Amino acid sequence: MQTVLSVKGLTKNFGKLCAVNQLNLEVKAGQVFGMLGPNGSGKTTTLGMLMGVTNPSAGEFSWFGEAPSHTIRKRIGAVLEHPIFYPYLSGQKNLELNATIKQADPANIAKVLEVVELTARKDDKYKTYSLGMKQRLAIASALVSDPEILILDEPTNGLDPMGIAEIRQIIKRIAADGKTIILASHLLDEVQKVCTHYAVLRKGQLVHSGPVDDVGRGEELVEVNAYHDDLALILQKFEGAKSVKKEGANYAVQMNDGFHSHDLNKFLFNKGIVVSYLATQKKSLEKQFLEILADNKK
Amino acid sequence: MLHLLTIDLKKLTSYRTFWVVVGLYFITLGFTTASGMEFLKWLASKGAEFGSVIKINRIPLYHFPDIWQNLIYISGFFKLILAFMVVISVTNEFTYRTIRQNIIDGLSRTEFLLSKIFTNVLLSVLSCVMIFLIVMVTGLIYTPDLELSYLFTDIGFLGAYFLEIFAFLSYTLMLGLLIQRSGLTIVILSLSFMIEFIIKANIDDYVAWAIPFFPMESISNLVAIPFPRYVFQEIQDYVSISSVAIVLCWTVAFNYLSYLKLKKSDL
Repeated sequence: MQTVLSVKGLTKNFGKLCAVNQLNLEVKAGQVFGMLGPNGSGKTTTLGMLMGVTNPSAGEFSWFGEAPSHTIRKRIGAVLEHPIFYPYLSGQKNLELNATIKQADPANIAKVLEVVELTARKDDKYKTYSLGMKQRLAIASALVSDPEILILDEPTNGLDPMGIAEIRQIIKRIAADGKTIILASHLLDEVQKVCTHYAVLRKGQLVHSGPVDDVGRGEELVEVNAYHDDLALILQKFEGAKSVKKEGANYAVQMNDGFHSHDLNKFLFNKGIVVSYLATQKKSLEKQFLEILADNKK
Repeated sequence: MLHLLTIDLKKLTSYRTFWVVVGLYFITLGFTTASGMEFLKWLASKGAEFGSVIKINRIPLYHFPDIWQNLIYISGFFKLILAFMVVISVTNEFTYRTIRQNIIDGLSRTEFLLSKIFTNVLLSVLSCVMIFLIVMVTGLIYTPDLELSYLFTDIGFLGAYFLEIFAFLSYTLMLGLLIQRSGLTIVILSLSFMIEFIIKANIDDYVAWAIPFFPMESISNLVAIPFPRYVFQEIQDYVSISSVAIVLCWTVAFNYLSYLKLKKSDL
Protein backbone atom coordinates (compact mmCIF):
# COMPACT_ATOMS: atom_id res chain seq x y z
CA MET A 1 0.00 0.00 0.00
CA GLN A 2 1.19 3.49 -0.80
CA THR A 3 2.59 5.46 2.10
CA VAL A 4 0.71 8.72 2.34
CA LEU A 5 2.44 10.27 5.28
CA SER A 6 5.82 9.49 6.73
CA VAL A 7 7.13 11.31 9.81
CA LYS A 8 10.68 10.99 11.08
CA GLY A 9 12.00 12.41 14.32
CA LEU A 10 9.56 15.32 14.33
CA THR A 11 10.18 17.60 17.33
CA LYS A 12 8.71 20.87 18.53
CA ASN A 13 9.94 22.87 21.48
CA PHE A 14 8.06 25.86 22.86
CA GLY A 15 10.80 27.38 24.97
CA LYS A 16 11.60 24.78 27.61
CA LEU A 17 8.48 22.77 26.93
CA CYS A 18 8.88 19.91 24.50
CA ALA A 19 5.44 19.58 22.90
CA VAL A 20 6.37 16.88 20.42
CA ASN A 21 9.42 14.70 20.94
CA GLN A 22 11.08 12.60 18.21
CA LEU A 23 7.83 11.45 16.65
CA ASN A 24 7.87 8.70 14.02
CA LEU A 25 4.68 7.76 12.18
CA GLU A 26 3.54 6.15 8.97
CA VAL A 27 0.07 6.42 7.49
CA LYS A 28 -0.83 4.37 4.46
CA ALA A 29 -3.47 4.99 1.81
CA GLY A 30 -6.99 3.99 2.79
CA GLN A 31 -6.36 3.91 6.53
CA VAL A 32 -8.56 5.69 9.01
CA PHE A 33 -5.84 6.64 11.40
CA GLY A 34 -6.74 7.66 14.94
CA MET A 35 -4.36 9.82 16.95
CA LEU A 36 -5.10 9.36 20.62
CA GLY A 37 -3.76 11.12 23.61
CA PRO A 38 -4.84 13.08 26.64
CA ASN A 39 -5.30 16.83 26.31
CA GLY A 40 -1.96 18.53 25.78
CA SER A 41 -0.23 15.41 24.50
CA GLY A 42 0.88 17.15 21.29
CA LYS A 43 -1.76 16.01 18.81
CA THR A 44 -2.67 19.45 17.50
CA THR A 45 0.96 20.62 17.52
CA THR A 46 1.87 17.59 15.40
CA LEU A 47 -0.94 18.26 12.95
CA GLY A 48 -0.01 21.96 12.91
CA MET A 49 3.51 21.05 11.82
CA LEU A 50 2.21 18.64 9.19
CA MET A 51 -0.01 21.44 7.81
CA GLY A 52 2.67 24.13 7.72
CA VAL A 53 1.34 26.48 10.40
CA THR A 54 3.82 25.48 13.11
CA ASN A 55 7.52 25.44 12.30
CA PRO A 56 9.16 22.18 13.49
CA SER A 57 12.22 22.46 15.75
CA ALA A 58 13.71 19.30 14.29
CA GLY A 59 12.86 16.28 12.20
CA GLU A 60 11.16 15.88 8.87
CA PHE A 61 8.05 14.53 7.22
CA SER A 62 6.81 13.86 3.73
CA TRP A 63 3.39 13.73 2.11
CA PHE A 64 3.00 11.25 -0.76
CA GLY A 65 6.77 10.75 -0.61
CA GLU A 66 7.40 14.42 -1.43
CA ALA A 67 8.87 17.17 0.72
CA PRO A 68 6.10 19.32 2.25
CA SER A 69 5.00 22.39 0.30
CA HIS A 70 1.90 24.54 -0.02
CA THR A 71 0.97 22.82 -3.30
CA ILE A 72 0.79 19.48 -1.51
CA ARG A 73 -1.40 21.01 1.19
CA LYS A 74 -4.00 21.73 -1.48
CA ARG A 75 -4.43 17.95 -1.83
CA ILE A 76 -5.23 17.62 1.87
CA GLY A 77 -8.42 18.71 3.57
CA ALA A 78 -7.79 19.68 7.17
CA VAL A 79 -9.56 21.21 10.12
CA LEU A 80 -7.39 21.73 13.19
CA GLU A 81 -8.93 22.40 16.60
CA HIS A 82 -12.13 24.38 16.18
CA PRO A 83 -13.60 25.52 12.85
CA ILE A 84 -12.09 28.74 11.49
CA PHE A 85 -14.05 30.95 9.11
CA TYR A 86 -14.72 34.61 8.36
CA PRO A 87 -17.70 35.34 10.66
CA TYR A 88 -19.11 38.09 8.44
CA LEU A 89 -19.22 35.87 5.34
CA SER A 90 -21.98 33.38 4.60
CA GLY A 91 -21.26 29.64 4.59
CA GLN A 92 -21.38 29.69 0.81
CA LYS A 93 -18.94 32.63 0.53
CA ASN A 94 -16.56 31.04 3.01
CA LEU A 95 -16.50 27.85 0.97
CA GLU A 96 -15.98 29.88 -2.22
CA LEU A 97 -12.94 31.43 -0.59
CA ASN A 98 -11.62 28.01 0.46
CA ALA A 99 -12.18 26.70 -3.05
CA THR A 100 -10.32 29.68 -4.55
CA ILE A 101 -7.34 29.12 -2.27
CA LYS A 102 -7.30 25.40 -3.00
CA GLN A 103 -7.92 26.07 -6.70
CA ALA A 104 -10.77 23.59 -6.54
CA ASP A 105 -13.74 23.33 -8.87
CA PRO A 106 -16.45 25.72 -7.54
CA ALA A 107 -19.05 23.15 -8.60
CA ASN A 108 -17.94 21.04 -5.60
CA ILE A 109 -19.37 23.60 -3.17
CA ALA A 110 -22.99 22.59 -3.74
CA LYS A 111 -22.00 18.94 -3.42
CA VAL A 112 -20.18 19.25 -0.10
CA LEU A 113 -22.93 21.44 1.34
CA GLU A 114 -25.28 18.59 0.54
CA VAL A 115 -22.97 16.05 2.22
CA VAL A 116 -22.98 17.98 5.49
CA GLU A 117 -26.65 18.97 5.13
CA LEU A 118 -26.13 22.72 5.21
CA THR A 119 -27.65 23.65 1.86
CA ALA A 120 -30.67 25.31 3.48
CA ARG A 121 -28.51 27.64 5.60
CA LYS A 122 -25.73 28.34 3.08
CA ASP A 123 -26.56 32.02 2.59
CA ASP A 124 -26.69 32.85 6.29
CA LYS A 125 -23.67 34.46 7.88
CA TYR A 126 -21.25 32.08 9.56
CA LYS A 127 -21.59 33.87 12.90
CA THR A 128 -25.25 32.89 13.09
CA TYR A 129 -24.43 29.16 12.91
CA SER A 130 -24.73 26.78 15.86
CA LEU A 131 -21.62 24.89 16.97
CA GLY A 132 -22.74 21.73 15.21
CA MET A 133 -23.29 23.64 11.96
CA LYS A 134 -19.86 25.25 12.29
CA GLN A 135 -18.26 21.82 12.69
CA ARG A 136 -20.17 20.55 9.69
CA LEU A 137 -19.13 23.56 7.59
CA ALA A 138 -15.54 22.82 8.59
CA ILE A 139 -15.86 19.29 7.27
CA ALA A 140 -17.41 20.70 4.09
CA SER A 141 -14.47 23.06 3.63
CA ALA A 142 -12.04 20.18 4.10
CA LEU A 143 -13.89 18.21 1.45
CA VAL A 144 -14.29 21.01 -1.08
CA SER A 145 -11.17 20.17 -3.07
CA ASP A 146 -12.07 16.46 -3.14
CA PRO A 147 -8.84 15.75 -1.20
CA GLU A 148 -7.03 12.43 -1.01
CA ILE A 149 -6.49 12.83 2.72
CA LEU A 150 -8.73 14.30 5.35
CA ILE A 151 -7.38 15.51 8.69
CA LEU A 152 -9.92 16.04 11.44
CA ASP A 153 -8.96 17.27 14.87
CA GLU A 154 -11.59 16.61 17.54
CA PRO A 155 -14.42 16.89 15.01
CA THR A 156 -17.10 16.14 17.59
CA ASN A 157 -15.77 18.39 20.32
CA GLY A 158 -18.58 20.16 22.15
CA LEU A 159 -21.40 18.56 20.19
CA ASP A 160 -24.56 17.01 21.60
CA PRO A 161 -25.11 13.24 21.13
CA MET A 162 -27.14 13.83 17.97
CA GLY A 163 -24.45 16.03 16.48
CA ILE A 164 -21.79 13.48 17.39
CA ALA A 165 -23.74 10.71 15.68
CA GLU A 166 -24.19 12.88 12.57
CA ILE A 167 -20.49 13.71 12.29
CA ARG A 168 -19.62 10.04 12.82
CA GLN A 169 -21.95 9.06 9.99
CA ILE A 170 -20.30 11.63 7.71
CA ILE A 171 -16.83 10.33 8.59
CA LYS A 172 -17.86 6.73 7.94
CA ARG A 173 -19.39 7.70 4.59
CA ILE A 174 -16.18 9.50 3.58
CA ALA A 175 -14.04 6.55 4.73
CA ALA A 176 -16.22 4.22 2.67
CA ASP A 177 -15.23 6.29 -0.40
CA GLY A 178 -11.67 5.06 0.14
CA LYS A 179 -10.22 8.31 1.43
CA THR A 180 -7.41 8.30 3.96
CA ILE A 181 -8.47 9.95 7.18
CA ILE A 182 -6.35 11.10 10.10
CA LEU A 183 -8.53 11.64 13.14
CA ALA A 184 -7.18 13.19 16.30
CA SER A 185 -9.34 12.64 19.32
CA HIS A 186 -9.39 11.94 23.01
CA LEU A 187 -12.73 10.15 22.65
CA LEU A 188 -11.63 6.52 22.60
CA ASP A 189 -15.01 5.19 21.80
CA GLU A 190 -15.04 7.38 18.70
CA VAL A 191 -11.69 6.10 17.48
CA GLN A 192 -12.70 2.48 18.10
CA LYS A 193 -15.89 2.98 16.12
CA VAL A 194 -14.45 4.63 13.03
CA CYS A 195 -10.69 3.96 12.85
CA THR A 196 -8.69 1.12 11.35
CA HIS A 197 -5.37 2.11 12.92
CA TYR A 198 -4.36 4.17 15.87
CA ALA A 199 -1.41 5.73 17.63
CA VAL A 200 -1.19 6.90 21.22
CA LEU A 201 0.71 10.03 22.17
CA ARG A 202 1.71 11.00 25.66
CA LYS A 203 3.60 14.18 26.53
CA GLY A 204 4.68 14.51 22.92
CA GLN A 205 5.95 10.98 22.60
CA LEU A 206 4.57 8.11 20.60
CA VAL A 207 3.89 5.31 23.06
CA HIS A 208 1.96 2.88 20.90
CA SER A 209 0.71 2.36 17.38
CA GLY A 210 -1.07 -0.48 15.62
CA PRO A 211 -4.31 -1.67 14.05
CA VAL A 212 -7.53 -1.17 16.00
CA ASP A 213 -8.49 -4.81 15.34
CA ASP A 214 -5.60 -5.97 17.55
CA VAL A 215 -7.15 -4.29 20.55
CA GLY A 216 -9.61 -7.08 21.31
CA ARG A 217 -7.09 -9.88 20.83
CA GLY A 218 -5.18 -11.73 23.52
CA GLU A 219 -6.51 -12.89 26.85
CA GLU A 220 -10.23 -13.02 27.33
CA LEU A 221 -12.13 -11.98 30.37
CA VAL A 222 -15.24 -14.02 31.10
CA GLU A 223 -17.91 -13.05 33.58
CA VAL A 224 -19.76 -15.96 35.04
CA ASN A 225 -22.38 -16.74 37.70
CA ALA A 226 -24.27 -19.82 38.88
CA TYR A 227 -26.44 -20.84 41.80
CA HIS A 228 -23.70 -22.64 43.67
CA ASP A 229 -22.12 -21.75 46.99
CA ASP A 230 -18.54 -22.81 46.23
CA LEU A 231 -18.38 -21.39 42.76
CA ALA A 232 -15.22 -19.42 43.49
CA LEU A 233 -13.32 -22.47 44.64
CA ILE A 234 -14.46 -24.54 41.70
CA LEU A 235 -13.52 -21.80 39.23
CA GLN A 236 -10.02 -21.67 40.65
CA LYS A 237 -9.60 -25.35 39.83
CA PHE A 238 -10.31 -24.64 36.15
CA GLU A 239 -7.03 -25.03 34.29
CA GLY A 240 -7.89 -22.19 31.91
CA ALA A 241 -8.32 -19.68 34.71
CA LYS A 242 -5.47 -17.28 35.30
CA SER A 243 -7.24 -15.43 38.04
CA VAL A 244 -10.71 -15.23 39.53
CA LYS A 245 -12.14 -12.07 40.99
CA LYS A 246 -15.52 -11.28 42.39
CA GLU A 247 -17.04 -8.37 40.53
CA GLY A 248 -20.41 -7.39 41.84
CA ALA A 249 -22.63 -10.46 41.92
CA ASN A 250 -20.55 -12.21 39.26
CA TYR A 251 -17.09 -13.68 39.05
CA ALA A 252 -14.63 -12.32 36.52
CA VAL A 253 -12.35 -15.03 35.20
CA GLN A 254 -9.18 -13.94 33.42
CA MET A 255 -8.57 -16.71 30.91
CA ASN A 256 -5.23 -18.22 29.95
CA ASP A 257 -4.23 -18.07 26.28
CA GLY A 258 -6.19 -20.49 24.13
CA PHE A 259 -9.11 -20.86 26.54
CA HIS A 260 -12.49 -19.42 25.75
CA SER A 261 -15.85 -19.02 27.40
CA HIS A 262 -17.18 -22.29 25.98
CA ASP A 263 -14.33 -24.21 27.64
CA LEU A 264 -15.32 -22.72 30.96
CA ASN A 265 -18.96 -23.55 30.35
CA LYS A 266 -18.10 -27.18 29.54
CA PHE A 267 -15.92 -27.46 32.63
CA LEU A 268 -18.69 -26.23 34.90
CA PHE A 269 -21.28 -28.43 33.21
CA ASN A 270 -19.09 -31.48 33.77
CA LYS A 271 -18.97 -30.55 37.44
CA GLY A 272 -22.74 -30.55 37.42
CA ILE A 273 -23.09 -26.78 37.61
CA VAL A 274 -25.39 -24.94 35.25
CA VAL A 275 -24.43 -21.31 34.71
CA SER A 276 -27.01 -18.58 35.08
CA TYR A 277 -24.84 -15.89 33.49
CA LEU A 278 -21.93 -16.07 31.06
CA ALA A 279 -20.44 -13.15 29.14
CA THR A 280 -17.19 -12.58 27.27
CA GLN A 281 -15.76 -9.12 27.79
CA LYS A 282 -13.83 -7.84 24.80
CA LYS A 283 -11.11 -5.51 25.89
CA SER A 284 -12.15 -2.00 24.90
CA LEU A 285 -9.82 0.54 23.41
CA GLU A 286 -10.42 2.58 26.53
CA LYS A 287 -8.96 -0.14 28.73
CA GLN A 288 -6.08 -0.68 26.36
CA PHE A 289 -5.43 3.06 26.22
CA LEU A 290 -5.37 3.41 29.99
CA GLU A 291 -3.08 0.38 30.24
CA ILE A 292 -0.71 1.85 27.67
CA LEU A 293 -0.61 5.16 29.46
CA ALA A 294 -0.17 3.46 32.83
CA ASP A 295 2.68 1.31 31.47
CA ASN A 296 4.46 4.36 30.19
CA LYS A 297 4.20 6.23 33.44
CA LYS A 298 6.48 3.71 35.12
CA MET B 1 -0.93 37.57 -9.10
CA LEU B 2 -4.56 38.01 -10.08
CA HIS B 3 -5.33 34.79 -8.22
CA LEU B 4 -3.90 36.19 -4.97
CA LEU B 5 -5.63 39.55 -5.42
CA THR B 6 -8.94 37.72 -5.96
CA ILE B 7 -8.47 35.86 -2.68
CA ASP B 8 -7.99 39.03 -0.66
CA LEU B 9 -10.79 40.87 -2.45
CA LYS B 10 -13.17 37.99 -1.75
CA LYS B 11 -12.48 38.53 1.94
CA LEU B 12 -13.12 42.27 1.70
CA THR B 13 -15.92 42.84 -0.77
CA SER B 14 -18.56 41.12 1.38
CA TYR B 15 -17.35 42.97 4.46
CA ARG B 16 -19.51 45.95 5.34
CA THR B 17 -16.75 47.72 7.32
CA PHE B 18 -14.57 47.67 4.21
CA TRP B 19 -17.15 49.56 2.16
CA VAL B 20 -17.81 52.03 4.98
CA VAL B 21 -14.15 52.90 5.54
CA VAL B 22 -13.08 52.87 1.89
CA GLY B 23 -16.25 54.75 0.91
CA LEU B 24 -15.55 57.33 3.61
CA TYR B 25 -12.00 57.68 2.34
CA PHE B 26 -12.88 58.28 -1.30
CA ILE B 27 -15.79 60.60 -0.48
CA THR B 28 -13.69 62.74 1.88
CA LEU B 29 -10.81 62.73 -0.57
CA GLY B 30 -13.07 63.72 -3.45
CA PHE B 31 -14.98 66.44 -1.64
CA THR B 32 -11.98 68.06 -0.02
CA THR B 33 -9.85 68.25 -3.13
CA ALA B 34 -12.67 69.29 -5.45
CA SER B 35 -14.16 71.98 -3.23
CA GLY B 36 -11.11 74.24 -2.75
CA MET B 37 -12.46 76.92 -5.09
CA GLU B 38 -15.82 76.97 -3.35
CA PHE B 39 -13.99 77.37 -0.04
CA LEU B 40 -12.02 80.32 -1.42
CA LYS B 41 -15.22 81.90 -2.70
CA TRP B 42 -16.77 81.54 0.74
CA LEU B 43 -13.64 83.01 2.28
CA ALA B 44 -13.80 85.92 -0.15
CA SER B 45 -17.45 86.62 0.63
CA LYS B 46 -16.69 86.58 4.34
CA GLY B 47 -13.76 88.87 3.70
CA ALA B 48 -15.97 91.23 1.71
CA GLU B 49 -18.23 91.58 4.74
CA PHE B 50 -15.26 92.94 6.66
CA GLY B 51 -14.29 95.24 3.83
CA SER B 52 -11.20 93.40 2.61
CA VAL B 53 -11.04 92.27 -0.98
CA ILE B 54 -9.57 88.90 -1.85
CA LYS B 55 -9.23 88.36 -5.55
CA ILE B 56 -9.56 84.62 -5.67
CA ASN B 57 -8.75 84.40 -9.34
CA ARG B 58 -5.32 85.74 -8.53
CA ILE B 59 -4.64 82.57 -6.51
CA PRO B 60 -4.00 79.88 -9.14
CA LEU B 61 -4.91 77.01 -6.81
CA TYR B 62 -6.63 75.02 -9.54
CA HIS B 63 -4.62 76.22 -12.52
CA PHE B 64 -2.54 73.83 -14.58
CA PRO B 65 0.19 72.97 -13.81
CA ASP B 66 0.08 74.14 -10.13
CA ILE B 67 -3.00 72.04 -9.48
CA TRP B 68 -1.04 68.76 -9.49
CA GLN B 69 1.13 69.60 -6.52
CA ASN B 70 -1.63 71.52 -4.70
CA LEU B 71 -4.23 68.77 -4.77
CA ILE B 72 -1.82 65.90 -4.30
CA TYR B 73 -0.26 67.57 -1.27
CA ILE B 74 -3.71 67.89 0.33
CA SER B 75 -4.69 64.32 -0.66
CA GLY B 76 -1.70 62.96 1.22
CA PHE B 77 -3.37 63.73 4.56
CA PHE B 78 -6.19 61.26 3.98
CA LYS B 79 -3.99 58.19 3.61
CA LEU B 80 -4.44 57.51 7.32
CA ILE B 81 -8.10 56.52 6.71
CA LEU B 82 -7.02 54.07 4.05
CA ALA B 83 -4.38 52.73 6.42
CA PHE B 84 -7.08 52.01 9.03
CA MET B 85 -8.71 49.69 6.52
CA VAL B 86 -5.42 47.86 6.00
CA VAL B 87 -5.04 47.51 9.77
CA ILE B 88 -8.54 46.03 10.07
CA SER B 89 -7.98 43.70 7.14
CA VAL B 90 -4.71 42.27 8.47
CA THR B 91 -5.51 42.13 12.20
CA ASN B 92 -8.84 40.40 11.44
CA GLU B 93 -6.84 37.51 10.03
CA PHE B 94 -5.26 37.10 13.46
CA THR B 95 -8.35 37.68 15.63
CA TYR B 96 -10.39 35.22 13.55
CA ARG B 97 -7.26 33.03 13.15
CA THR B 98 -8.16 32.78 9.46
CA ILE B 99 -4.51 33.26 8.48
CA ARG B 100 -3.94 29.83 10.01
CA GLN B 101 -6.72 28.26 7.98
CA ASN B 102 -5.51 30.03 4.80
CA ILE B 103 -2.11 28.38 5.22
CA ILE B 104 -3.67 25.00 6.04
CA ASP B 105 -5.82 25.32 2.92
CA GLY B 106 -2.71 25.59 0.79
CA LEU B 107 -1.64 29.23 0.60
CA SER B 108 2.08 29.68 1.24
CA ARG B 109 3.08 32.33 3.77
CA THR B 110 4.63 34.37 0.98
CA GLU B 111 1.44 34.14 -1.07
CA PHE B 112 -0.58 35.30 1.91
CA LEU B 113 1.65 38.36 2.27
CA LEU B 114 1.56 39.01 -1.48
CA SER B 115 -2.24 38.93 -1.49
CA LYS B 116 -2.19 41.75 1.10
CA ILE B 117 0.53 43.69 -0.77
CA PHE B 118 -1.41 43.46 -4.03
CA THR B 119 -4.46 44.90 -2.29
CA ASN B 120 -2.24 47.77 -1.09
CA VAL B 121 -1.14 48.33 -4.69
CA LEU B 122 -4.76 48.32 -5.83
CA LEU B 123 -5.83 50.84 -3.15
CA SER B 124 -2.88 53.09 -4.09
CA VAL B 125 -3.74 52.87 -7.79
CA LEU B 126 -7.39 53.68 -7.10
CA SER B 127 -6.34 56.75 -5.08
CA CYS B 128 -4.21 57.88 -8.02
CA VAL B 129 -7.05 57.37 -10.49
CA MET B 130 -9.38 59.34 -8.22
CA ILE B 131 -6.95 62.25 -7.93
CA PHE B 132 -6.17 62.15 -11.66
CA LEU B 133 -9.87 62.50 -12.49
CA ILE B 134 -10.40 65.31 -9.97
CA VAL B 135 -7.33 67.19 -11.24
CA MET B 136 -8.52 66.83 -14.83
CA VAL B 137 -12.10 67.94 -14.17
CA THR B 138 -11.42 70.81 -11.75
CA GLY B 139 -8.33 71.93 -13.67
CA LEU B 140 -10.26 72.16 -16.92
CA ILE B 141 -13.04 74.07 -15.18
CA TYR B 142 -10.92 76.62 -13.30
CA THR B 143 -7.83 77.20 -15.47
CA PRO B 144 -8.57 80.46 -17.32
CA ASP B 145 -6.28 80.40 -20.37
CA LEU B 146 -5.67 76.74 -20.83
CA GLU B 147 -2.50 75.76 -22.60
CA LEU B 148 -2.40 72.09 -23.43
CA SER B 149 1.35 71.92 -22.96
CA TYR B 150 0.88 72.69 -19.25
CA LEU B 151 -1.66 69.93 -18.76
CA PHE B 152 0.73 67.12 -17.88
CA THR B 153 3.96 68.97 -17.07
CA ASP B 154 3.71 68.16 -13.35
CA ILE B 155 2.14 64.73 -13.62
CA GLY B 156 5.30 63.39 -11.97
CA PHE B 157 3.64 64.28 -8.67
CA LEU B 158 1.07 61.57 -9.35
CA GLY B 159 3.87 58.99 -9.37
CA ALA B 160 5.19 60.41 -6.11
CA TYR B 161 1.66 60.23 -4.71
CA PHE B 162 1.42 56.55 -5.60
CA LEU B 163 4.70 55.90 -3.81
CA GLU B 164 3.57 57.95 -0.81
CA ILE B 165 0.37 55.91 -0.38
CA PHE B 166 1.97 52.55 -1.12
CA ALA B 167 4.93 53.15 1.21
CA PHE B 168 2.60 54.19 4.01
CA LEU B 169 0.32 51.18 3.49
CA SER B 170 3.39 48.91 3.48
CA TYR B 171 4.38 50.42 6.82
CA THR B 172 0.82 49.83 8.09
CA LEU B 173 0.79 46.22 6.90
CA MET B 174 4.07 45.59 8.68
CA LEU B 175 2.80 47.13 11.93
CA GLY B 176 -0.38 45.04 11.69
CA LEU B 177 1.58 41.84 11.19
CA LEU B 178 3.91 42.64 14.07
CA ILE B 179 1.29 43.80 16.58
CA GLN B 180 -1.66 41.66 15.41
CA ARG B 181 -4.18 43.67 17.46
CA SER B 182 -6.23 46.32 15.72
CA GLY B 183 -6.56 48.83 18.57
CA LEU B 184 -2.89 48.96 19.47
CA THR B 185 -1.86 49.01 15.81
CA ILE B 186 -4.09 52.01 15.09
CA VAL B 187 -2.75 53.88 18.12
CA ILE B 188 0.89 53.25 17.19
CA LEU B 189 0.20 54.05 13.56
CA SER B 190 -1.41 57.36 14.45
CA LEU B 191 1.41 58.23 16.84
CA SER B 192 4.14 57.34 14.33
CA PHE B 193 4.46 60.91 13.07
CA MET B 194 4.57 62.32 16.57
CA ILE B 195 7.08 59.79 17.87
CA GLU B 196 9.29 60.48 14.89
CA PHE B 197 8.88 64.22 15.42
CA ILE B 198 10.08 63.97 19.02
CA ILE B 199 13.12 61.94 17.97
CA LYS B 200 13.92 64.39 15.18
CA ALA B 201 13.60 67.38 17.50
CA ASN B 202 16.08 65.82 19.91
CA ILE B 203 18.76 64.93 17.40
CA ASP B 204 18.34 68.08 15.32
CA ASP B 205 21.48 69.74 16.70
CA TYR B 206 23.78 66.76 16.37
CA VAL B 207 22.97 64.78 13.25
CA ALA B 208 20.78 67.06 11.18
CA TRP B 209 21.84 65.27 7.99
CA ALA B 210 20.04 62.10 9.18
CA ILE B 211 16.62 63.70 9.36
CA PRO B 212 15.60 63.22 5.68
CA PHE B 213 16.22 59.50 6.12
CA PHE B 214 13.48 59.02 8.71
CA PRO B 215 10.59 56.96 7.29
CA MET B 216 7.65 59.31 7.95
CA GLU B 217 9.77 62.35 7.14
CA SER B 218 10.86 60.90 3.79
CA ILE B 219 7.27 59.96 2.90
CA SER B 220 6.17 63.55 3.63
CA ASN B 221 9.09 64.91 1.63
CA LEU B 222 7.89 63.26 -1.58
CA VAL B 223 5.39 66.03 -2.23
CA ALA B 224 6.52 69.27 -0.59
CA ILE B 225 4.05 71.84 0.75
CA PRO B 226 3.16 74.08 -2.22
CA PHE B 227 1.18 76.97 -0.73
CA PRO B 228 3.99 79.29 0.43
CA ARG B 229 4.62 80.04 -3.25
CA TYR B 230 1.48 82.19 -3.23
CA VAL B 231 3.08 84.47 -0.70
CA PHE B 232 6.22 84.66 -2.84
CA GLN B 233 8.33 82.13 -1.01
CA GLU B 234 10.66 79.61 -2.53
CA ILE B 235 9.20 76.09 -2.57
CA GLN B 236 10.32 72.72 -3.84
CA ASP B 237 8.09 72.39 -6.90
CA TYR B 238 9.52 69.08 -8.11
CA VAL B 239 9.84 65.51 -6.84
CA SER B 240 13.38 65.05 -5.59
CA ILE B 241 15.11 61.88 -6.68
CA SER B 242 16.79 61.44 -3.31
CA SER B 243 13.51 61.32 -1.39
CA VAL B 244 12.08 58.86 -3.95
CA ALA B 245 15.14 56.66 -3.43
CA ILE B 246 14.85 56.82 0.36
CA VAL B 247 11.14 55.98 0.32
CA LEU B 248 11.70 53.11 -2.10
CA CYS B 249 14.27 51.66 0.30
CA TRP B 250 11.86 51.98 3.22
CA THR B 251 9.06 50.35 1.21
CA VAL B 252 11.24 47.36 0.40
CA ALA B 253 12.36 47.19 4.03
CA PHE B 254 8.80 47.30 5.41
CA ASN B 255 7.59 44.52 3.15
CA TYR B 256 10.72 42.45 3.73
CA LEU B 257 10.28 42.73 7.51
CA SER B 258 6.67 41.61 7.09
CA TYR B 259 7.96 38.64 5.14
CA LEU B 260 10.53 37.73 7.81
CA LYS B 261 7.98 38.03 10.60
CA LEU B 262 5.46 35.85 8.78
CA LYS B 263 8.08 33.28 7.82
CA LYS B 264 9.26 32.75 11.37
CA SER B 265 6.10 32.78 13.42
CA ASP B 266 3.94 29.84 14.47
CA LEU B 267 0.43 30.74 13.42
